[in-house]
Amino acid sequence: MNAKKGKQWQRLRAASQVLFSILFFFLLLISGRIAVESLPHTGAFFYIDPLNLWVNALAGPFLRPFLLALVPLVLTLVLGRFFCGWICPFGALQQFFTWLGSRRVKKKIASHHGALRWKYILLIVLLVASLFATQWLGWLDPFSLLTRSSSVTLFPGLNFLLQHALESGANSQSLGSRIIKPLYDFSRAWLLSGTQRTFLLSFVIGAIFFGLLLLNLYRRRFFCNYLCPLGALYGWLAKYSLFRLHVNPNCTQCNACAGHCTYYGGPFTDYQKSECLVCMNCVKDCPVAAIDVRWQLPKAGQVPALAPRRRQILSAVGCGLVAAALPQIAAGKKTKGHPFIRPPGAAAEKDFLKKCIRCGACMQACPTNAIQPALLQAGLDGLWTPLLAPSCGYCEYECVRCTRVCPTHALASLALEEKKQFKIGTAVINRSTCYTYADGHNCGVCEEHCPVPEKAIRLREVELYNFRGKLKKVKQVYVVPDLCIGCGICENVCPRTDAPAIVVGAEEEQREAFY
Amino acid sequence: MPMKRRTFVKNGLLFSSALTLPSLLPGQNKTSGPLVAQVQGDSPYEIAKRAIAMIGGMDKIVSRTDVVMVKPNIGWNRTVEQAACTNPEVLRAVIELAFAAGAKKVVVMDHTCHTAEDCYERSGIAAMAKKAGAEVRYCDENRLVSHDFHGDYLGKWPVFRDFLEVDKFINVPILKHHGSAGLTIAMKNLYGILGGNRGKLHGDMGENIADLANGFSNHLVLVDAFRVLTRNGPIGGRLSDVELRKTVIATTHIMHADVAAAALFGMNPGQLEFLQAAFNRKMGEIETARIPIQSLSI
Repeated sequence: MNAKKGKQWQRLRAASQVLFSILFFFLLLISGRIAVESLPHTGAFFYIDPLNLWVNALAGPFLRPFLLALVPLVLTLVLGRFFCGWICPFGALQQFFTWLGSRRVKKKIASHHGALRWKYILLIVLLVASLFATQWLGWLDPFSLLTRSSSVTLFPGLNFLLQHALESGANSQSLGSRIIKPLYDFSRAWLLSGTQRTFLLSFVIGAIFFGLLLLNLYRRRFFCNYLCPLGALYGWLAKYSLFRLHVNPNCTQCNACAGHCTYYGGPFTDYQKSECLVCMNCVKDCPVAAIDVRWQLPKAGQVPALAPRRRQILSAVGCGLVAAALPQIAAGKKTKGHPFIRPPGAAAEKDFLKKCIRCGACMQACPTNAIQPALLQAGLDGLWTPLLAPSCGYCEYECVRCTRVCPTHALASLALEEKKQFKIGTAVINRSTCYTYADGHNCGVCEEHCPVPEKAIRLREVELYNFRGKLKKVKQVYVVPDLCIGCGICENVCPRTDAPAIVVGAEEEQREAFY
Repeated sequence: MPMKRRTFVKNGLLFSSALTLPSLLPGQNKTSGPLVAQVQGDSPYEIAKRAIAMIGGMDKIVSRTDVVMVKPNIGWNRTVEQAACTNPEVLRAVIELAFAAGAKKVVVMDHTCHTAEDCYERSGIAAMAKKAGAEVRYCDENRLVSHDFHGDYLGKWPVFRDFLEVDKFINVPILKHHGSAGLTIAMKNLYGILGGNRGKLHGDMGENIADLANGFSNHLVLVDAFRVLTRNGPIGGRLSDVELRKTVIATTHIMHADVAAAALFGMNPGQLEFLQAAFNRKMGEIETARIPIQSLSI
């Protein structure tokens, strides 16, 4: 194949990457905006991910859309790691940052086969751990990682910058506002969230995300080469693929093909089918059209196998067992309850941790910013699982978005009427801080906001001595626990500025019933 | 305590007859203030138009090239039938009349309690306002400025600039039950121009409402009482709590609008803290008998 054709293929690949990236971000962006009925489609990328198929198969019950994950598996046996090179949006981002750093990356590096094996080892660790209910695949799965990072850091960050850049211009009376106003209106309708979203410890997720991107300035496609568990799975399959690059006799041994090879190999010196992302850079770079694409059944010994060594596999299994056990022997596993609440439709805690892939799609979909990534509140194995934090937002009574976007049904898909009955927790009034108890004056903001039509928070008129020692009639608030669904709007709107005088806890949460 | 239907009907009859009675008795019709028009009918759009016509028409209020702010109640993520937000049809009448009177621009905006996008959309107000040619604007925290209401209870408080930077302000509340205030009508609707920790204003709510309404001028008040949430307000949600009253009230006097609406609801205006507080501030009359109310059924 000559360089001209190679260039066409390379362009086609880049176009495919851009297209799939746009599709990915578009689906994610609209998940918080469009009508609830059409929401399930925003999970398309999760369903073509075989790692999620594995998670779902282990946690059950089986969800049919995950059968789609078999398609890229089968196609990989034909095309090699095309998925990483042509489709994966996180891969596309890596490629972009690799391109940014292409000037400073050394063209030749010492053999890094050891590092290339990391991802296989990681995959084994994570798969073994997942067999023992410690579900950590989502930490590194590229779709979970990208969705989580986008929801929690990328979008809110861009939102902040856009809002500040456009807002003052759009509202001014100057001539410039004519240009900026439509831009602002467009952003307001499609990109910006009404109020700036904020997330608990978002900088941790942000640091990991941007750190992974910056590592591409050090090594080409760092994440894809060394860390990606999905890439490892595809790499293992790609060894048996029909696709292979063949060096024909035109070759002058100039090694130009290694110049832009994503894994610093190239078909001439160090061809690894498991590492080749079918990016076609080498075909384009070859000055003498010496690289051909061949479709043939792999023969034993034809392609050097890059796989973890036996001892590495054993160590990986060992590490997986350690990773599996450690979080399960924490004291929190045996307590009756827990100091947090989960979004509606959440499975019982044990099942929830098995089902949730920590993708944070629910955090993007939640219109009130109530869903927050856990740090260690839910234990070591609960890192980045969704919590409902009424201090940040409340569960909107008329909304089921989070339960619709959850790809693994860790948050079960609920009908609106079901959700309105789903008890997330129960509100409790702190009588030593509530104005209507402690200070003896009226408030009732929580009562006003309580969305339950029969009112789970009510007012009763009592006489009590206020802080001036005067006997006063006060409309005191009280909770009707049976009616309370734990949406948390009371805690969210409580006007106390030190700490809310009404808080929602896991008491009587409905999902315990599934234990 | 929720009011029983029987008491509601009884009170309703009692007070609406109290509205008409004084005009029959000689010597009792010493009324003051601008006219309050109360129109009943099957179409919220038509009765709104008629009520505004009765008090002199929109031309008297809106001048050519005015920028007009229409402030409905869009507080909650609720449908028209649930009667927690202003009826879009009533709003349409106001917007159309404002444009007909020569308004350069009509802006519809409210500081919602639930997520703004949800409220604007679900109430049907955003769609209706856009259709009628108005600008649908969202509250932007960065546009808050401190405004002095010069009250003993409510002094300086953050207000969205948008509400201050218009030529005319039209208050279009919905009449409904409110747990802590008793009722929410036009005066309470002004909470929607405020930012900040609004919950803090629920302590001496009646006094705060009165200070707020006293320190901010309304050019027209149109109370939507087509569907009235009679219990479990201000959010409601249950259709059985909603009663069809098919009425709107128009006037330029915000307190009188609330007095008339409270009577229509079936409550004694004197028992409502915020009206009593307004009366103490000499904002207006608290007895319906002393207010020039004109009723019409079409």
